Amino acid sequence: MTTSNFDRRYLLMMAVGLFILLVVIYPLWQVFFRSFLDAGAFSLKSYRKVFAYPAYYRALLNSVWVSCVTAALCMVSGTLLAFLVVRTDLPGKKSLRTLLVLPYALPSFFAAIAWIQLLGPQGYLARLFFQLSGWETAPWNIYSAGGIVFVLTVHYFILVFITVAGALERMDASLEEAARASGANTYRIMREITLPLVLPAILAGGLLAFIGALANFGIPALLGMRARFFVLTTSIYYALAIPDFGLATALSSMLVVVALVSMTFQFALQKGEGRYTVISGKSVRPSELRLRSMRYPLFSCTAVFVFCISIVPIFSMVLTALLKYWGAPLAQASLTLEHFAYILKLDTGRRAIVNSLFLAAVAATLTTFVGILISYMHVKARLKGSRILDFLATIPYAVPHTVIAIAMILAWAKPPVSLYGTLWIILVAYLAVYLPFAVRTTNSTLQQIHNSLEEAARVSGAKIFPRLRDIILPLAWPGMIAGWILVFMPALRELTVSILLYAYHTETIGVVVFNLQDAGYREVAAALASIVMGLLIVGNTVIRRLTGGAAGF
Amino acid sequence: MKLSKVLFSFLAVIAFFPFFNPGLVSAQARPANRVLLYTSVPQQLATAFGNAFMKRRPDIRVEIYRAGSTEVGAKLAAEREVGGIRADLLWLADAPIYYDLRAKGELMAYISPEAKHIPADLRDPDGYFTAGRLINMIIAVNKEVVPLKDAPKSWKDFPDFGKKAAMGNPLYSGSNFVTVATFVKKDGWGWFERARAKGVAVVRGNSEAADALAGKEFAIAMTLDYIIAGLIKKGAPLAIIWPAEGAISVPSPIAIIKGTKNPDASKAFVDYVLSKEGQEFLVKQEVIPVRGDVNPPKGQPSASQIKFLPIPYEWAAENAAVIRERFEKIMLH
Repeated sequence: MTTSNFDRRYLLMMAVGLFILLVVIYPLWQVFFRSFLDAGAFSLKSYRKVFAYPAYYRALLNSVWVSCVTAALCMVSGTLLAFLVVRTDLPGKKSLRTLLVLPYALPSFFAAIAWIQLLGPQGYLARLFFQLSGWETAPWNIYSAGGIVFVLTVHYFILVFITVAGALERMDASLEEAARASGANTYRIMREITLPLVLPAILAGGLLAFIGALANFGIPALLGMRARFFVLTTSIYYALAIPDFGLATALSSMLVVVALVSMTFQFALQKGEGRYTVISGKSVRPSELRLRSMRYPLFSCTAVFVFCISIVPIFSMVLTALLKYWGAPLAQASLTLEHFAYILKLDTGRRAIVNSLFLAAVAATLTTFVGILISYMHVKARLKGSRILDFLATIPYAVPHTVIAIAMILAWAKPPVSLYGTLWIILVAYLAVYLPFAVRTTNSTLQQIHNSLEEAARVSGAKIFPRLRDIILPLAWPGMIAGWILVFMPALRELTVSILLYAYHTETIGVVVFNLQDAGYREVAAALASIVMGLLIVGNTVIRRLTGGAAGF
Repeated sequence: MKLSKVLFSFLAVIAFFPFFNPGLVSAQARPANRVLLYTSVPQQLATAFGNAFMKRRPDIRVEIYRAGSTEVGAKLAAEREVGGIRADLLWLADAPIYYDLRAKGELMAYISPEAKHIPADLRDPDGYFTAGRLINMIIAVNKEVVPLKDAPKSWKDFPDFGKKAAMGNPLYSGSNFVTVATFVKKDGWGWFERARAKGVAVVRGNSEAADALAGKEFAIAMTLDYIIAGLIKKGAPLAIIWPAEGAISVPSPIAIIKGTKNPDASKAFVDYVLSKEGQEFLVKQEVIPVRGDVNPPKGQPSASQIKFLPIPYEWAAENAAVIRERFEKIMLH
């Protein structure tokens, strides 16, 4: 009985291993071994180049410190907001929550543009400031390292927010109740009970934010160039432009190394097992903390924050979509709806919406499914070798998307299996890009489910699949849906991978937005992005209605 | 269990998605007589032009892949590693890449019957590529930031505007690369060293330079004439200055890839691009024509009225990596 059990679990592991091999390892290997090639022979020339020029050093250091600061800011703001929105009686918290998640659906270069429009040297806020103060220049500068950290934080804090909010929701309140009954005050309960319990989620979210910032290209490309501030991803892009393929892959390998080091660090921090298992047999819904006199002051702070990071950039994007041309005076005469009409009449625009919805939904579903299997084997079943799977599945997160796209062409564009030119190659690339998200979020979800439940089922004779179906999945649902949305939203607007892999008829939203933007049709691009935002809001409302508020944001 | 019901109905819906778009399931389910065009020509222009051609030749279908020069370059490089370039036609603004591809034997020679109407310096003598349109690198001015009379009249004066001046990055854009190569071949790197010292801003590409100029972030910008012409048409307070030394007229060549499976349809497309009808269509989209017998767009000078700097194509192609690296070191680090 036990042997057959074991066989099945290893069968599952082999299937998942094959998936990772095909989607992640084989394509990335195609790129990696080329970093050791020079005119067909083995050489370390590219790596020597990286260490010979201080500019590449500096790019590496810049990448590391920018990502560290971003991750720290994301962890603080994400955790605080998650706590306020989930565990307190803050007024209007449902709407606040939706608004907080929304800006993540903006393509990152679009987010950067929205912020340039607001805070740039001639942005709306700058112009307002000139009028009020009479100064000629603004005391801030968005084209700087600080500007990059700011926009990255606004873009990625959501990763911490969603994972922590999920953890807080699933938390068993009885521990807090016990502490309260023993006379501990709120501050002490937070510090000694709640915070340690959600720490894995904070760290998991922080890691996602760190590596996300590390691998982001759009924001440092738009904000860093004028300040001549370079990070690894922008240097990789230049290496591709030169074109120096070996240098690009050597730089990419360094990016992966930094990410792997940070992952190992997080794994080591989380070693102490059992401390974090929170959902056990009888779960009580956590109580709401009453803010009392702090209720409205805290509400105002949160509302101002939400207003700044969500409503303002979205408003700025919609405004761009309505303007005749960018920089036009904000008079009624220069507002128009023609850009919306244009995009809806455009075949490519409509096709891109269908394609992206399909790709994002399938990628989110498959990665969440595979993610929960990997996490189950690693966190729950603790199978030998499962940790390696977990590790391998997280690598692509640190690989710049351009490099992943090239890897997919190298791996899947030649016979006998040629997916090139179809939607499937984009799908495979998305699976590689988003698998790490799914693995990290499901990991922290499963860590909170106590082993006792599954063990009870096992002792009663339930086999692996019934156990997964009847015990693990129902308990992991909310976390899985949060993870699903974390994949769906960025996949819907993905650009860097799709731009290299799309073909006629397989355009994605990101591609169309970028090509419009690049040709100077910034207003039309903004109109398409606004339509996507509208679709997401409608979709989210539908999900919430259908599930009675259990899923969605 | 309500959740799983929602999920399953959702999955059922997305399972039907491919049926709305039959072309995406397999690359094979396409008509035989199709040509695939890789281009960095703006999407709207490329699409409109492809449609005009297909109206002429309903038996041929043109499929367009459009991305920035760097992306197209990366795609070509990756495709060459795995069995060859998939495109039939290539229409970029990065002229030196054609010399590189010609040297590597990736292009097919074809002298179009229309080619005799095109000046000899705009085409390869052996017919490996021919300019399909001209785009001009000029100085653009925002009249609300600097009065037109104070604007620079020449490239030489351009760096004096320091932080108020912007140029595109040759590591992003093919036309900027051609411009940098032209400057360097003519006068060495001095112009760039001066620009760096005075703080001239390097932005991503020509669109960003133009947008930031319209948004008053800069007083002047080195960018492309047709982008500025488009903004002026929309009402932006900009003006074009034709620099005293000469503008850089970047030809955007069209070429047939040697591995094309459909040489006849590809040739027909090249013929159409170079034909009077094709060039007149481009003129309607504010593009400068390559034929002497087609008038330029209204308000734009014709090719014979503008002074141009000679472009060192072959030298630029041979030294592409060195030029880009040197630019990166001087202007970006």
